[in-house]
Amino acid sequence: MDKGAKKEMKWIYEEIVGRIPPFSLVSYQYSILMQLFFLLVLGLIFGFIFKLESVSLLYGSLAILVAVSWSLLILQLGPTLRKFRAPLSKDENELLEKYKGILFHRNHYEAIPGLAIFIPFMLYLFFYGSDLLENWLGKNPHIILLLFVSLLIWDICYRMGLGIWASVLALWRSVRLKKLAEKRTELEHTPYTELRSLRRLDINNVFFGIISLLLIPLLQSDNFLVTIILIFMVFITLISVISAYIISKVPWLPPDIYNLVNESSFAYIGTSLGGVTHVTPVVYVFDGQEIFFNTSKEAKKLKIMQKNNKVAFLIDKRDMSNIYENKAVLFTGEVKIYGLLDVPLRLVQMLQTLSLFIKKYPEYTRKYSTSELPEAWQLTPIIARILVEIKPVKIIYWRGAKQISVPV
Amino acid sequence: MKIPVEMRNILYGNYFGYVCTSDRHDQPHLTPVFFIYDEHSQKIFFITNDKSKKVKNIFENPNVSITIDIRDPVNPFNNEGVMAQGTAKVTEHAPIYFLSEETLQLYYDIYMEFKSKYQKVIENKPLGENDVIVQISIQKIVYWKGPHFKSVKFDNSRLE
Repeated sequence: MDKGAKKEMKWIYEEIVGRIPPFSLVSYQYSILMQLFFLLVLGLIFGFIFKLESVSLLYGSLAILVAVSWSLLILQLGPTLRKFRAPLSKDENELLEKYKGILFHRNHYEAIPGLAIFIPFMLYLFFYGSDLLENWLGKNPHIILLLFVSLLIWDICYRMGLGIWASVLALWRSVRLKKLAEKRTELEHTPYTELRSLRRLDINNVFFGIISLLLIPLLQSDNFLVTIILIFMVFITLISVISAYIISKVPWLPPDIYNLVNESSFAYIGTSLGGVTHVTPVVYVFDGQEIFFNTSKEAKKLKIMQKNNKVAFLIDKRDMSNIYENKAVLFTGEVKIYGLLDVPLRLVQMLQTLSLFIKKYPEYTRKYSTSELPEAWQLTPIIARILVEIKPVKIIYWRGAKQISVPV
Repeated sequence: MKIPVEMRNILYGNYFGYVCTSDRHDQPHLTPVFFIYDEHSQKIFFITNDKSKKVKNIFENPNVSITIDIRDPVNPFNNEGVMAQGTAKVTEHAPIYFLSEETLQLYYDIYMEFKSKYQKVIENKPLGENDVIVQISIQKIVYWKGPHFKSVKFDNSRLE
């Protein structure tokens, strides 16, 4: 079943392009560029033969540019999802399989929205007395030109349909995934890398929506069509932003680790420089997604991290009365040290983190604010205390004496 | 060799240590361990599995550090702890009849020490087949209480 599903994870377009030489011979990014070039050359040749005005060539080129940019974005779905590792949760795995199954259905449903745009548009263009054709090609254009333009229109409509298809399905998937994530138990989760790639695909769709604005010059003489393009743009962009936002709220840690990180008060940060290691306890906060700790500007660990940002970060629950109740999680990876440049760029994030610190460690914040302390120890945010974010690459989880490696 | 009494109290009075090792690429690794401290030799011992990441790291890079601390989630001024830095050695690991007398004695002594310190946990559990003893020769100890720091250095060459 898996093999069949993987084989089927292509759209009509990918399948066709993948089979025609010379496109089949090069990687898909190059094949897209080749198509652009091929269509451009064809358009220019027609323009020359039929003595088209330069504005027609410009319009044609713009349409090709839009089609190709859309292809570049939308065709990343296939390769990204093909690489997708299975979530470590049965329900979430089923959902993603279902999502992929519909997205790349063997009946090629993805062409339906495209057709639903193409057919009415062609009727409108040819029979409804729109003067767009005359704007584009001049009076009484040759049948070959009409065919070429129809091909371009199909290219555009098909991709518009793909955009709607992909973004609506993405929103559905994000909403379902968020719901399922709330019902996880123990170590069930969808790894961070996979959540990130889903979000990246959603952000691609945002750009997809914005690119449709490039079609407006082509349609400027027809207010009705301009309105449709604007609606299309807002629709795709909005849906994709919402979907990306929901995905960014899906916890990437399984509940066991999530709860440990959420409930524990202390962590240990291990650093290393030239092979000499250093380990100290730190206070930290967790906003459901990222883990932050802060450190004094004078601290040795900060100086080490500035030279080598690889760290080990451990959070544990100690229980001497029952060692089988002991839990610990180790994140190994890198850190991002927040500096002055981050203040304008990530002010909201920094303020949110600060308020989490105040909420989690009220006494700390109060005590560290007193001016009797050495300056470096005062909790003056950003100036004397430096905010550090953990960027895990690997997670090891210990429960009792059992060691479990958790995919990130 | 004597160390300040507050360091001594921490090292003898706590059950959990956090060992930091790093591999040849300077990637740190951290694990909680049970440990025992010996003031006379200025060494810290812990038992671990010879397949563990920390043992692998120690073979690549013998520099390790271990933190032992008391944590107070409410009042940071009660936080107290030490970080010891030093070099680690993994005891030779072989079937018991191949071990030197010295190593056997070490295994016996350390095991008995662990048993008395971690009675509740270890009970009568014998050393596992893959268990090895790691000994850290301390070179430097940093001590803190609240915002105050203190440190001592040892001349290890004299101790060896």
